[in-house]
Amino acid sequence: MNSDAYEKLFFNALRIRLVEEKIAELYPTDKIQSPVHLSIGQEHIPVGVCDGLRNEDLVFGTYRGHALYLAKGGSLNKMMAELYGKKTGCGGGKAGSMHLSEASVGVMGCSAVVATTIPNAVGSALASKIRGTDQVVIVFFGEGSTGNGVYHESINFASKHKLPILFICENNNFSIYTRVSEIHSYSIIDHAKSYGIETTFIEDGYNLLDIMSKSKILIEKIKNGFGPQLLEIITYRYKQHVGPSDDYNIGYRDISELQRWQKKDPLINDKLLIDKFKPKIDSEILEAIDFAEKSPYPNEEDLYTNVI
Amino acid sequence: MSSNNLETITYKDAITLAMDEILQDNKNAIIMGQGVTDPTSIFGTTKGLSEKYGISRVIDMPIMEEGMTGIAIGAALNGVYCILTHIRVDFLILATNQLINMAAKYKYMFDGSFQVPMLIRAVVGRSWGQGPQHSQSLQSLYAHIPGLTVIMPSNANDILDGYNYAAKKYKGPVISIEHRLLYDLSFYRKKEVDYSFSTKVVQEGSDITIVASSYMVQEAQRASIWVKENHNINCEIIDICNVSNVDHDLIYKSLKKTGNLIVGDTSWLPYGVCSEISRGVLERDPFVLKKRVINLGLKHTPTPTSHKLEKYFYPDMANIVDSIYKLIFAENHKETLPNDDFIKGQQKKFKGPF
Repeated sequence: MNSDAYEKLFFNALRIRLVEEKIAELYPTDKIQSPVHLSIGQEHIPVGVCDGLRNEDLVFGTYRGHALYLAKGGSLNKMMAELYGKKTGCGGGKAGSMHLSEASVGVMGCSAVVATTIPNAVGSALASKIRGTDQVVIVFFGEGSTGNGVYHESINFASKHKLPILFICENNNFSIYTRVSEIHSYSIIDHAKSYGIETTFIEDGYNLLDIMSKSKILIEKIKNGFGPQLLEIITYRYKQHVGPSDDYNIGYRDISELQRWQKKDPLINDKLLIDKFKPKIDSEILEAIDFAEKSPYPNEEDLYTNVI
Repeated sequence: MSSNNLETITYKDAITLAMDEILQDNKNAIIMGQGVTDPTSIFGTTKGLSEKYGISRVIDMPIMEEGMTGIAIGAALNGVYCILTHIRVDFLILATNQLINMAAKYKYMFDGSFQVPMLIRAVVGRSWGQGPQHSQSLQSLYAHIPGLTVIMPSNANDILDGYNYAAKKYKGPVISIEHRLLYDLSFYRKKEVDYSFSTKVVQEGSDITIVASSYMVQEAQRASIWVKENHNINCEIIDICNVSNVDHDLIYKSLKKTGNLIVGDTSWLPYGVCSEISRGVLERDPFVLKKRVINLGLKHTPTPTSHKLEKYFYPDMANIVDSIYKLIFAENHKETLPNDDFIKGQQKKFKGPF
């Protein structure tokens, strides 16, 4: 892999990291009055997977959706305005942090109820097959959501109908505060295999190039009619499940675990590239905040629009 | 009425025909449901469609109500219109997470970026001792939710025109609660131009207003004939049709004329359709009524299975006739009510007048 490809991935991931660090910094001002589930520590996955996707390739995500939205090409201005509850936000102030979307670039929606977008993604893949488009659909979910019955329903149907879908399991090991090994009796990879789904496993969720190149291979396979693929990637969430802070003081995990991940996180360690890109990104973020702050709030009439 | 010149169609055949037309007209329309391709084909309603359109468009599903609903949402987002079938309303409960958390909100929470039109058919299984989990009628549960449209077609015309409207013009997800007791009834076909899901007056009258949903519209019509023949009482019958968006002004207008209100629904009274009708009246003018409101619905118990208990559980034509006499004459009237044999005969031979 050439260094241009790496720098592009690094830039995209660092951009998300800096955006979310700014959100965490702003949060105590109460300018953002809605829960935020930060992706800090997990940005590498959507950046690697979404590299090279077209606008017509569709992605579905979760309430931890800032990284996916930005990685797939969502507008930072519209995202920031949405967090501020402004009319210019990507959801007109009705979505907030948990429901980002941008139809024009194929971000088809993020949901606050675990596992709910998994069957939606399968449905879009079914439509792709019925309409004979060559779209690939990619759905991102955490390991916790595999415990939900609808996950089973979805992968069964996708496999049986050989749908063009890539399942991305972002395994950060925590179902909120509970280690998944304490509540699940199965391996996600073995479980998916038993449905006839081809699986790939990446243990180092901070290897941007590996995530990118393996994803491209899987997407090519999907386009060539091999049916659904599942990619599980191990990663780590630095911040609280929800909120802008750390939570290493409350007892469910030790800070040494964070430190082990931080040691291999390029977004912390590659100082040269950080210095190269940070000024440009910082100014883009300030512009987005300015856009959000200057934008109008929705009015009473907007409450009633787009119900049916 | 020039009924003699009109063709008739059963409710059941209207369902098949409506779906056939939708699949014919839109090559990106599909049917999904458990058993849609099997020999019994959802009480016969999907019969022949998989042969005509192929099993990739009439898809037999695993038993996965939530997943299927989620798939229909995703398909809608990517240009495919789904008709989902549930052979019992009771099974729709498993789809409720996707219906309420996703389908109802997909347009709103993304501020109009997406819409998820689809038609969800769910059948009230009432008949032959179907019992507590095979005969529920859960319209108010879903009609409570902004973003969902719940219709209850009471006749074949509302099936044909309504399903066509849902699939070709309506932008949101539609839950149609079909009633099995209507399936074999024949109706004169009368196409409605500029159809929409709206409450409608199906029979004009000056003495009493009966607001009813689904199968209760038929019972109301039978009761109306009885009281007309015996006492020349003229009933105005209003078919709610769209449970999630009742035209309260239309009902109020009728009450200004009659001053008497009976509401008949296929479900329970508390927090239900009957309560909703009273809300509409009371918010406009509580003094429009000459007497109390009489609500007819299910007794507030789960559905019993024994046909002896079913008789106490379900309201019928006799309960409506009795209610009319209570309001028009007196609470303790001594008028003759239709007996069980007469009611059964009516239910078998009845042919909807519209």
